[in-house]
Amino acid sequence: MKIDAFDKLLWILLSVVLIALALLLWQGSHRSGASGKSVSDRAMERELTYQARVALVQKLYGPVEELRSKGELQSALLKLDELARLYPGEAHGYILQAEILQQLGLIETALTNYVAGIRLDGDYIDKKSPLSRREEISRFVAEAERSIGSRAAANPSNRTLAVARKDLNYLKSRLAGGCE
Amino acid sequence: MDLRDREFWMVILSGLALGTLGVLLAVWGNPANSGICVSCFIENSAGALGLHNNPRMQYLRPELIGFLLGSVASAVIGREFKSRGGSAPLLRLISGIFLIIGCAVFIGCPIKLLLRLTAGDLTAVAGVAGLVSGVWIGLKMAVNGVELGPQQSERSGGGLLMPLLFLLLLAFFITRPDFINFSTKGSGAEAAPWLLALGAGLLLGALAQRSQFCITGSIRDLFLVGLRSYLPWGLGIFMVSALIAGAVSGRLNLGLYGQPGAHLDHLWSFLGMMLVGWVSILIGGCPFRQLVKAGEGNTDAGLVVVGMFIGGAVSQSWGIAATAAGVSLYGKAAVLIGLAFMLAISLLLRRREG
Repeated sequence: MKIDAFDKLLWILLSVVLIALALLLWQGSHRSGASGKSVSDRAMERELTYQARVALVQKLYGPVEELRSKGELQSALLKLDELARLYPGEAHGYILQAEILQQLGLIETALTNYVAGIRLDGDYIDKKSPLSRREEISRFVAEAERSIGSRAAANPSNRTLAVARKDLNYLKSRLAGGCE
Repeated sequence: MDLRDREFWMVILSGLALGTLGVLLAVWGNPANSGICVSCFIENSAGALGLHNNPRMQYLRPELIGFLLGSVASAVIGREFKSRGGSAPLLRLISGIFLIIGCAVFIGCPIKLLLRLTAGDLTAVAGVAGLVSGVWIGLKMAVNGVELGPQQSERSGGGLLMPLLFLLLLAFFITRPDFINFSTKGSGAEAAPWLLALGAGLLLGALAQRSQFCITGSIRDLFLVGLRSYLPWGLGIFMVSALIAGAVSGRLNLGLYGQPGAHLDHLWSFLGMMLVGWVSILIGGCPFRQLVKAGEGNTDAGLVVVGMFIGGAVSQSWGIAATAAGVSLYGKAAVLIGLAFMLAISLLLRRREG
């Protein structure tokens, strides 16, 4: 390949631009401590936002937990209803409702609520999340499997049980992991 | 089959490495049954680049970078790197989008399809049927004159662009600038140690470049020439090695229900993979093969890869990607649009006799 004067000019300009880019990035990386946000800053910011959400959720649903610990499950459900109207998309409400319904022995309704909660926020089955209910949900799935599995097999035409079976499979699949 | 042929053993080695590493990468930390999944990796990487905002699906997968760069290295060493392209570029870009949409509706690329199957996930059977049907349809279309046209050699060196882009992605992965997102939860946070992942990617990319191994290509050859082609042997070895690796690592779980990253909308699994099989035949390879070809300097495959990133972004942003809960309305509509697209371009591209 023959290189003429114009090629040489292009090579020189390319080199200048690349050197300028390298200098810019080098300078930027040294300044980022003062002006820009480093990766650790962003990670910290994200962590703080998450912790703030966890704290807010715990504060909001504190009264429900209190009623539940006193054994006033019906009052806790009423309080949850009230909160659901104020925060309709909040997964924590569904999870708490599921736990209370499970305590009341209403397995199928509890299942529906667990599914709704996890579909809104997968943190509840993550191992590392502070909101994680993975152990509890795993135990619930085993219990629901015994309760629903045999009845669904005996009544294959029962629509409600079929839906419950589907929900149960969803929870099992989410607990098994894999890509989302 | 000639056992003394080096090409045969290269295909066998590729199948063996893909099956074994496909399981091992999941053992080392990737999501269950997703040791290797090009479509999942593309969706994760698109999220890492800020192309979608699902915080649970953002990770610049080193395997993906490795596939392409391994192919580059192998092509350069083997003096096979050559810039070429110019065959229906826009159609290929859009095909790349639909390739990932089909995978997202099934939840996995053809490699993951077989990894899921060999791990005992029976929901993958519908996907296998779909993929085989799609390849068959693609072949029927090709026989009837549907093709994208010839490629030309490019003087411009455009084939270097994808390798350079992936080198840049590798630099982003290592230096982690502010604008690159990394999930801290969900499947995007599940990852094998990065050096292992990158090494596996480089090895598989290089082997696939040497052997031209590809899942849909293997099925295509099985239809066309049966076991006289080496590729179906590679496919067989891939499945056997994944099965053995899965059994040894205790990851075999035979069943239809509660499988990781799977749903029970079998019709849509079938149609999603049918779309993938059909598109793959038209553009000459599955998502993995497109990455490898892009590493050889094929700018058409490079455009498919760009399309795949767009597909990964829209699959997540528009709610197209299926979840364990099933396939959304948008997912179903997107697959049907993809099939309509394939039929329409088949009508437009078809070379008619006389």
